[in-house]
Amino acid sequence: MPIRFNDAKLGSLYTNFETQKRSDPNLKLGQDQVLQLVALVGDGHRGWSGNKVAAELNKPGMTRDQQVALVKGGMTANEKKDLAAILDQGTVPLEPSAKQFLEAVLDRGAPQPPPPPRTNGLAVSGDQKNGLTGTAKAGATIEAINISTAPGGRLHMDDTTVIGKADANGAFTMARLTGDQAMREGDLIRMRARNADGSTSDWVTIKATGIASKDTNNATVALFRIGLADVGNGKVSVNNINESRQVSEPGAQLELTNKRTGEKTKVTVTETGGFPAGFTVNGKPGDSFAVAASDGVNNTNFAGSVGNVTVPGGAPSNTDLIPDPALHRDELDAAGKPRFSKVNFTGPLFVDGAKAEDVRQGQIGDCYFPAAIAAIAKSNPEAINKLIKDNGDGTYTVTFKQRDWNTQGFKDVAVKVDGDLWARSYGGALYGHSANSSDPKKMELWFPLVEKAYAQWKGSYNEIGDGGHSSDVFEAVLGRDGNSMNIYAGNLDRVFDTIKKNIDARQPLAAGTYHDEARYTNTGVYGDHAYSILGYEQQGTERFVILRNPWGESEPAGNGANDGVFKLKLEAFAKLYQNLMYTS
Amino acid sequence: MAKPPEPIEDVMPNAAWVVEAEVKEVLSTGPTPPQPTNAQPGATSVGYKSASQTVKLSISKVLKGEQATELVVEKPVGSYSLRPGNKGPFLIDKSKTILGRYGPDSWHLDRIKAAMK
Repeated sequence: MPIRFNDAKLGSLYTNFETQKRSDPNLKLGQDQVLQLVALVGDGHRGWSGNKVAAELNKPGMTRDQQVALVKGGMTANEKKDLAAILDQGTVPLEPSAKQFLEAVLDRGAPQPPPPPRTNGLAVSGDQKNGLTGTAKAGATIEAINISTAPGGRLHMDDTTVIGKADANGAFTMARLTGDQAMREGDLIRMRARNADGSTSDWVTIKATGIASKDTNNATVALFRIGLADVGNGKVSVNNINESRQVSEPGAQLELTNKRTGEKTKVTVTETGGFPAGFTVNGKPGDSFAVAASDGVNNTNFAGSVGNVTVPGGAPSNTDLIPDPALHRDELDAAGKPRFSKVNFTGPLFVDGAKAEDVRQGQIGDCYFPAAIAAIAKSNPEAINKLIKDNGDGTYTVTFKQRDWNTQGFKDVAVKVDGDLWARSYGGALYGHSANSSDPKKMELWFPLVEKAYAQWKGSYNEIGDGGHSSDVFEAVLGRDGNSMNIYAGNLDRVFDTIKKNIDARQPLAAGTYHDEARYTNTGVYGDHAYSILGYEQQGTERFVILRNPWGESEPAGNGANDGVFKLKLEAFAKLYQNLMYTS
Repeated sequence: MAKPPEPIEDVMPNAAWVVEAEVKEVLSTGPTPPQPTNAQPGATSVGYKSASQTVKLSISKVLKGEQATELVVEKPVGSYSLRPGNKGPFLIDKSKTILGRYGPDSWHLDRIKAAMK
């Protein structure tokens, strides 16, 4: 029998939950949903709107008891009957914590046990204008972390800094965090006291006040820790992919807007800075969600978004201008579905021209390709400028050279691509990318798009991601015959002359290592790998080869900054590298 | 296969130990894994793999995990192999398997330390 509600808004919201239950038989009302319900009954006595009550209930730092008191203070007798009916006759099950909350609002159930006594108690008093003041055990050090700023960095919630020490009377004053963690008005500061015997007090979280007239700093959100996964039945689970660090500050509200459907879902960040267990939103693979945050003071209408996160798999939500090359099989799950999704990159094609250091190999076995492209960018950047053209409509044309067996020459093959690239859920291109930025709006696009076009031309990333020859890439870009030479101790002069001749003629070279991995461990050079040759040096009788790892890092020790560029004596080069690739 | 090392941020959560260590002894080597059969001569990134190994590490410093001076760990089938004397930072999971596509050559120590913060 349906519940007859006295409060129409409450009745409407509960009916909505009942409707959801019919399409999702496993639905249970959790704390977030119950707070939505009680916000509508807590408005009775004060003349507040439901939104105002909701905002108060969700303010950071609100304890459960304070929430219960707030609701009880604004609840009419009829509304109390409505809540009792939900508890006793409701058809949508309640999670235990939600049930207990409603029971507390209705003064039902066993009395809550008193909070456990605090050991070596820490108390904080006063505002933080001049640093924190409080008491602890005599001689205890006071540790703190700003959990409002921490999500933007790499801190765990217990990565504290010592900010003060209690004197012989147990008092401490002027304790303050500095640097990136400096307290700002409204920040949440998590503190504990560490006693001389090594024991610690319970954690105490306070809200910084008295520092400024207004709290203008909204909750920080670590988008890169938000993991979305399709769980079937139109649901997407939302998790903190690194549970030991925060997504945002406890108590902050996040709003996820499905950009395909427009549906908005709010969630309150837990005490540990993550999402409630089992939290889901409606969506499917490929859906992109805009994330907005509010600390209860700033951005309360969630108008300002902090960025997007995407559900791996499926087609992207945006319009695909041109079909994209498929993922390499290593990035498919057991069912053959992509483990990553695509993101539309809209950054500049070139930032300051084509340079070798722009090129970064991604998580694909095509080292021969970035090694060759970086070598061309170094020796002949104009060739890169001619290779790719921005069509001005979100598409780009890459013109490769294909051997024409009829003429014994090369003919042009134009490949059109758009800016969609396979990307990690927290942003950044999965495959080839550029050094300047991982931001889809800023990343220099020429190299990842040339790689994408090469994959498109050859069939898919699978077709280019299982090894190859840099000399083939030289041919495909320059339309010049590729060549290779084995390297061994007996032909060092010939090897060096070939390097010198090609570098001096502004022609690219690359070198490949052996497949015998055992010889490479701890050398800083990697087996089964291709490297760009950027130059040579001669110092008296000693000859050197200058190389670049297409990862843009990882090199033998003693070569300066870890940028992948290093120098080897010709003899050492000959021991580690098996072949040289160049154009004739 | 010369892919870059995995992003350390993806690997670090699985590390039960982070140690600076040297390979003291290779205790055993597993069977040779299947190798690519259609690779062209001279090609790179073909995906050749080395056999698994069981090795004894002599530990000079424990950066994360229970204190230990020696650990017997498994090097999985992959893109590198170990010999006595090889050293560097090792990330090891709870099943005592070495993490990182290139074992001790996967990431510089500074980057590992930064990822631990």
